[in-house]
Amino acid sequence: MTAEPSTEHPAPAPDKQEPILKVEGLVKYFPITQGIVFKKKIGDVKAVDDVSFELYPGETLGLVGESGCGKTTTARTILRLEEPTAGAAYYDGREIFSMSKKEMRDLRKEISVIFQDPYASLNPRMTVGNIISEPWTIHGMVPKKDRRKKTQELLEVVGLNPNHINRYPHQFSGGQRQRVGVARALAVEPSIIIADEPVSALDVSVQAQVVNLLEDIQDEFGIAYLFIAHDLSVVRHLCDRIAVMYLGKIVEQGDEFGVYDNTAHPYTQALLSAVPVPDPAGRADRTRIVLEGDVPSPANPPSGCRFRTRCWKAQGVCADEVPELIDRGQGHPVACYFPQVEFAEEVPSESRGLDTSD
Amino acid sequence: MATNGNNELGGLPFDEKAHLLDVENLHVEFRIEDGVVRAVNGLTYTLDEHETLAILGESGSGKSVSAQAVMGILDTPPGFVTQGSVKFRGVDLLQLPETVMAKDVRGQNIAMIFQDALTALNPVFTVGWQIGEMLRKHRGYSKKEAKEAAIELMERVKIPDARDRVNAYPHEFSGGMRQRAMIAMALSLDPDVLIADEPTTALDVTVQAQIMELLHSLQEETGMGLILITHDLGVVAEVSDRVVVMYAGEIMEDGEIDDVYHHPAHPYTLGLMDSIPRPDVHTDRLSPIRGAPPDLLNIPSGCPFHPRCPFAKERCTTDDPQPISIGRNGHESSCFYWEEVQRDR
Repeated sequence: MTAEPSTEHPAPAPDKQEPILKVEGLVKYFPITQGIVFKKKIGDVKAVDDVSFELYPGETLGLVGESGCGKTTTARTILRLEEPTAGAAYYDGREIFSMSKKEMRDLRKEISVIFQDPYASLNPRMTVGNIISEPWTIHGMVPKKDRRKKTQELLEVVGLNPNHINRYPHQFSGGQRQRVGVARALAVEPSIIIADEPVSALDVSVQAQVVNLLEDIQDEFGIAYLFIAHDLSVVRHLCDRIAVMYLGKIVEQGDEFGVYDNTAHPYTQALLSAVPVPDPAGRADRTRIVLEGDVPSPANPPSGCRFRTRCWKAQGVCADEVPELIDRGQGHPVACYFPQVEFAEEVPSESRGLDTSD
Repeated sequence: MATNGNNELGGLPFDEKAHLLDVENLHVEFRIEDGVVRAVNGLTYTLDEHETLAILGESGSGKSVSAQAVMGILDTPPGFVTQGSVKFRGVDLLQLPETVMAKDVRGQNIAMIFQDALTALNPVFTVGWQIGEMLRKHRGYSKKEAKEAAIELMERVKIPDARDRVNAYPHEFSGGMRQRAMIAMALSLDPDVLIADEPTTALDVTVQAQIMELLHSLQEETGMGLILITHDLGVVAEVSDRVVVMYAGEIMEDGEIDDVYHHPAHPYTLGLMDSIPRPDVHTDRLSPIRGAPPDLLNIPSGCPFHPRCPFAKERCTTDDPQPISIGRNGHESSCFYWEEVQRDR
């Protein structure tokens, strides 16, 4: 085992085509400074530390983890809302971090974003029509005379009344506002949408509407999603592949069958076992791994494997060396020296589900 | 369980045969400039010792407001309890003067923990001081005694290094530790009822599991009744004995957890269950509830859920159905067509 940053991870579905987005060894440190007049750097918050993944056209990659694991910083850095400390990201083969301002502006037509809070991410002084068509003004897309019609088409695509084009955000409910956010993201006809917790601010009964809308849009336009969320149920439902993050690193990556049904990393196991299941049957028999203590500070992460301080399997090697994110016989990459090796039989997940609920 | 030695409140004796908590036909409204917000319209439930009752609802369903009314901490004005009773061991708390509520009821009989522990804790006092405050005020503990008791309480809620951290300020605690500190505070006078208002919503899922486990073990230990207010169907399924499903201030369905989850008898309950994905099995396409929750200034006539309901018929637009018994163990539904709903399942 080497402690070198690993840059090549076997993707579970590699032979589809070339990845549309490829992130290699991404690192983002935020400096910690001391002093008011003469600021000196006294350390780093290691928010993202050597993260690599690939996103293929038309698929959904879920980036999951608890607060502070670096999932949002990863997305912000790819969009260059934060400057990366190290690493590279390629959109369609072109390196993003060395792009000029103009190239970046063009890139933002290809990668758009949906934010978590539909109350804060829409300008309250603009009509939804202006919010949705603003990207066209910025990028010089869509002739002015066609904009109204196209905006109304977009409103219809996201399930809003096209006649509400002149309304303001406060006249819409939370779910409708998030639809406006989706319409704005669609306006530039992107090939990737980065969705940062797009449904977590919504009520349960409305959340499903937006989840279904995101699925429909993907089917219709073939957009790839980088879906950032902490809700493991929504991620399981929506994502083709999942990357689990802990303290700035990806610890496990794979498809639903790999990550959810053949969970190999102890952290992923603990995380999944903590998710409450909306079914009272058999709750007494459910095994739950309750982790001790809190997540360590990213300013001073543990040596070696970052999860080792809370891990029941940790041994000497875990403190000395950083486990690589590689397939150790699980069928999907796991960053652990002692991953789970027993697997469930490969049966369709639907039939497995019925066994456990009765 | 010890009721802190007292067997009466404000001169009214406890009824030993009564439920620990018996809320009946509670109505709460807010009189604001734009009109009257009817937040709770006829909430009824009972709670016994050792029991966990979940109040499940989305934002605006009245679940938190009803808890505030029970605790007597409603902001009045604009909030008013207009009807109903809240009986603790047979004594109606709504008839008691605020002095008795403050001195004898809150903290001693009924305690509450809140969603956001950072705003609920005072940032300028140490955690230990705040945990000991109730003991100094109500039990006449000295500063030193209260501090020792605070350390013990912190150990009981499994805050590590309690002796060192008793002098820490809330901002020095992580989210999970703050929530533990708030639970320690609520437990300081050994209450009979603990109301937990979205206690884990602001927390990460692994921390949520820690807190729910803590609440469960404390309940086993003390036998207190626990009211869990939440929007999370998963959390409800994991811990509660009974559940009350609220929508627009009204009860849609209530009953034992297995009955409600496995034989839902209200379109709203059914809709909620079909609209969430599951963590343990693959879910195909979700079936959302159409539309959005109602504006409380303008609650639909008849059944408040009828504009979003796939089962709604003419009658639902004019008559407001009341909860009726539909099965064993007190399973109730407020739907005229509950049989149709159950057949659909």
